Amino acid sequence: MEHEATQLENQHVHSVYESTASYFNDLQSKAWPRVRQFLLEQKPGSLIADIGCGTGKYLNINSQVFNLGCDYCEPLINIARKKGCEVSVCDNLNLPLRDQCFNAIISIGVIHHFSTKQRRIKAIKEMARVLIPGGQIMIYVWAMEQKNRHFEKQDVFVPWNRDLCSRLLSESNQSGHKSDLEHTVKKHPQQLVGSECSYPINLKQELDTKSSHSTDHCLAKTCCMKMSEEEENRFYSALGKSFRSWFFSRSLDESTLRKKTEKMKSLKNVGGWANSTISIQPSRHCSLDLGRCGPLLKEQSLDDDEVFIENASVKKPQWMTASGVIRDLNGEHHGVVQSKNEETSFLSGPVEDRDNNCTYSRDEDGKSTASKLFQRTSTTDSTDSILDEAMAVEDQVVDILDTKAFMRYYHVFREGELCCLLEENVPELHIISSCYDHGNWCIIAEKIAK
Amino acid sequence: MKLLTHNMLTSHVRGVRPGGGFPLRIQATEVKVNNVDFNQEFVARMIPKVEWGALVEAAESLGHLSDLPHELPPEYENNEDFLRKVHHVLLEVEVMEGILKCPDSGREFPITKGIPNMLLSEEET
Repeated sequence: MEHEATQLENQHVHSVYESTASYFNDLQSKAWPRVRQFLLEQKPGSLIADIGCGTGKYLNINSQVFNLGCDYCEPLINIARKKGCEVSVCDNLNLPLRDQCFNAIISIGVIHHFSTKQRRIKAIKEMARVLIPGGQIMIYVWAMEQKNRHFEKQDVFVPWNRDLCSRLLSESNQSGHKSDLEHTVKKHPQQLVGSECSYPINLKQELDTKSSHSTDHCLAKTCCMKMSEEEENRFYSALGKSFRSWFFSRSLDESTLRKKTEKMKSLKNVGGWANSTISIQPSRHCSLDLGRCGPLLKEQSLDDDEVFIENASVKKPQWMTASGVIRDLNGEHHGVVQSKNEETSFLSGPVEDRDNNCTYSRDEDGKSTASKLFQRTSTTDSTDSILDEAMAVEDQVVDILDTKAFMRYYHVFREGELCCLLEENVPELHIISSCYDHGNWCIIAEKIAK
Repeated sequence: MKLLTHNMLTSHVRGVRPGGGFPLRIQATEVKVNNVDFNQEFVARMIPKVEWGALVEAAESLGHLSDLPHELPPEYENNEDFLRKVHHVLLEVEVMEGILKCPDSGREFPITKGIPNMLLSEEET
């Protein structure tokens, strides 16, 4: 499963951050107050590491300490470097750092990008390893339980789409509170989803100026001022549709567990698919390639490595492979999107697939890989992705993705999950405190003295 | 990459024996010297966290040893002269371009624009 996990993260974490890094300009964004406080409380002369530092937002908070920023994403690190931060490109799962050399570590909005429990544990253990006994670590992860809603499942693909954000912004502007809201969103876009890693908001001005480095462009990562309740509700309702269109998937962990029971079943038994609770629909230009059997998008150029090259999907725009991003170790796809004219609902229940054609192919190992091609029953323009129909909400098709959408993978955490993760798997860390902060679960833990 | 950072970096290639990846040998093609404000207390507190031998070796390899002693003098906390030298080596000398080499495996990690890239391939981890 490691390979799949790596693939998934490469596709839906690393590549996305690399591609969107130039849009991330957090000159306007501020640090989370609690993180800020944590950093400022460290003794002068401390060594602090920010693992997953991104553009280095937290690296200049406390000038009395030495801050080292680490991130997997080179473009983000380059941005941090330009701000004068001391940074390195590295992998949380394998930190190139000596044991026990840091007084404090922060991990803000990072662990939730790991696609399996084991990797999340490993990431935390790595950070514990480089902590001095008595040193503290602060971890922030996106919570399943959000303010106005909660994620239906824990493994989520979140589209990032500058045009979406700008369009939604203008929609809510129609309520007549344009300048206030714009100002608020401009300054504090992060509040919209109450989380570390929500949509970066791209203001309309940005599009007009065609500049990707406008200082008006906020990284929707942090925010320290709340919008008023009213503004927040308005914006939430505007974003509501898009919330419901986030994509959920079975986690890689789940897939592995089910592998044995479903090994041969799903080849013949369409019912197996029907019980799948997954809907992953890639946007047009977002590849969810898992290496051998990634789903294909109609406008996507084919990777030669992909197994179902023989399918006609490339030639017929209306035919799309809709398959789960997550597949189990047998290479079976678990993912179904149903499209029924305009009444498609975004499903978390049984799915009818009478319109489906199943094709199977085998790779050299003799393992079967299943892919399903769905014919769109509606006659919308082929320029619309099947996504648009698939995620119809309340009989309304919401076209939220345009050609620039990227899908970022998150495993959102339930209440208590992060604590349990540490308690059960990282005995070298002792939890000092935990809380819910703006849509995130946050804990502070201390490395036990030997 | 400052020498303070270098002092914490280690190679993590699979198969390297414990401690065998530290310290990384620096082959610098571009070194920069900055002016950084001297904070005596800061430097004094940093010293115990540093692997002294590795720091001296690194400074020497860059030609910036500037009569820093090979052994830590006792009671350095109030020795301003000494602390200024340490300050210089830890914080003012920066490797902008070059290579970090794992002493055990020989694996090379590039430094570009002052940023060391420590990523390994899937096979190496």
